[in-house]
Amino acid sequence: MNETKIITNNVNVYYGEKQALHNVSMNMQANEVTALIGPSGCGKSTFIRCLNRMNDVIDTCKVEGTITIDGYDIYSKETSVEKLRERVGMVFQKPNPFPKSIYENVAYGPKIHGIANNKNELDEIVENSLKQAAIFDEVKDRLHEPGTALSGGQQQRLCIARAISVNPDIILMDEPCSALDPIATARIEELMEELKKDYTIVIVTHSMQQAARVSTKTGFFHMGNLVEVDKTEVIFSNPSNKKTQDYITGRFG
Amino acid sequence: MSEHIVKSYDEQLELINSNLIIMGGLVESQIKNSIKALEDKDTSFAEEIISDDNKIDELEKDINELAYKIIAMRQPLANDLRTVISALSIANDLERMGDHATNIAKRVADVKVNLPDAPTLEIVRMGEDAQKMIKDVLDAFVQRSDKLAMNAWHYDVNIDDTYIGIYRDLLKIMSDDPDSVAGCSHLLSIAKNIERLGDYAQNIAEDIHFIITGSALEKK
Repeated sequence: MNETKIITNNVNVYYGEKQALHNVSMNMQANEVTALIGPSGCGKSTFIRCLNRMNDVIDTCKVEGTITIDGYDIYSKETSVEKLRERVGMVFQKPNPFPKSIYENVAYGPKIHGIANNKNELDEIVENSLKQAAIFDEVKDRLHEPGTALSGGQQQRLCIARAISVNPDIILMDEPCSALDPIATARIEELMEELKKDYTIVIVTHSMQQAARVSTKTGFFHMGNLVEVDKTEVIFSNPSNKKTQDYITGRFG
Repeated sequence: MSEHIVKSYDEQLELINSNLIIMGGLVESQIKNSIKALEDKDTSFAEEIISDDNKIDELEKDINELAYKIIAMRQPLANDLRTVISALSIANDLERMGDHATNIAKRVADVKVNLPDAPTLEIVRMGEDAQKMIKDVLDAFVQRSDKLAMNAWHYDVNIDDTYIGIYRDLLKIMSDDPDSVAGCSHLLSIAKNIERLGDYAQNIAEDIHFIITGSALEKK
């Protein structure tokens, strides 16, 4: 097994009075794809958003328990949220490129984080990020056209390029393919295979088949609880919890 | 078992299940009839059995087609996946069992003459044993009972032992009386057919175990 990258221990999340997560303890390994599945409202998106403190922006949201990345508590007072988000990139359900050129979309992060020292270095980062996101060949002749002019699948790969441009350790993906057609979805899945060699990937997905195809480990959430987490092949062939089995076989939603 | 949100999925799984039960029932009666035809040396009954085998073959075809359809269209998982995969394997085993019953029926005409009584009776008894085991396995399938399936699985050793005994007896009769070789070699084949029935029933017991527990049977 690969080294453990992320450890969550008894994580409870509240939105005001309402508790959204109950004592979630889960490990995520480096260079693996971990999939989170479960019906709408089960807490999987809330959970993934704890991993880069996206929930901080919601005033009523309270997070208890500990979450460590490489052993460091990301909710400790010493942790800089900016630095954390540099290490933990995120890709969302709907492709959301900035209303800027393809080049600027990818260059933005390295610029604000002061990663590139000069124009040449920045060009190199942009090119490498686009290559890693498997979109460079499709856009290399129109880097200065708007990112929003690309197709949905291309926009999502552009967003992945943008996420990896600041050289993170972890990429969080919250239903990255739900707005894409099957071909664009297959391209993203193929890309994830490549990306996991360099990154730790955590993906929330509503597609059971996608979780089965791309992930090493799958966690099933239900009503704010992590019901079961196991090797993906076990979850989909012989889960130990009846709730997991009922969910993956389409017996309740 | 709780139901799927999509009703037509339940209907397809139920159809595969009921087809397997019908197929199992047909195989059971084909075996029973073939042993009876042998006991009575009734060749016209044997002819009937031989021509009925295609009903079993048709059912296997139906089950296979339905299983492929479910896999292609529903992408079954977990217990559903195990049920569909095992249905293919059980249907295949039942079809082979049907062939063995037919083989027994085909030999009825050949064993009409000058057969030693003792081994014939022993074969009939072995056939009844196999029928009991097959009935238990099919009950285990209908009830989804791992316990029944495992009981049946363990029963196979009795049939194997009987086969070895019959084999020895027939060998002795043949060496004592060379004129008996023709009839006895047919009896030997029939005994082998029945012994194989036990093996297929054992396969089905293993499939039932897999459907229920999710893991392959650890054979001791």
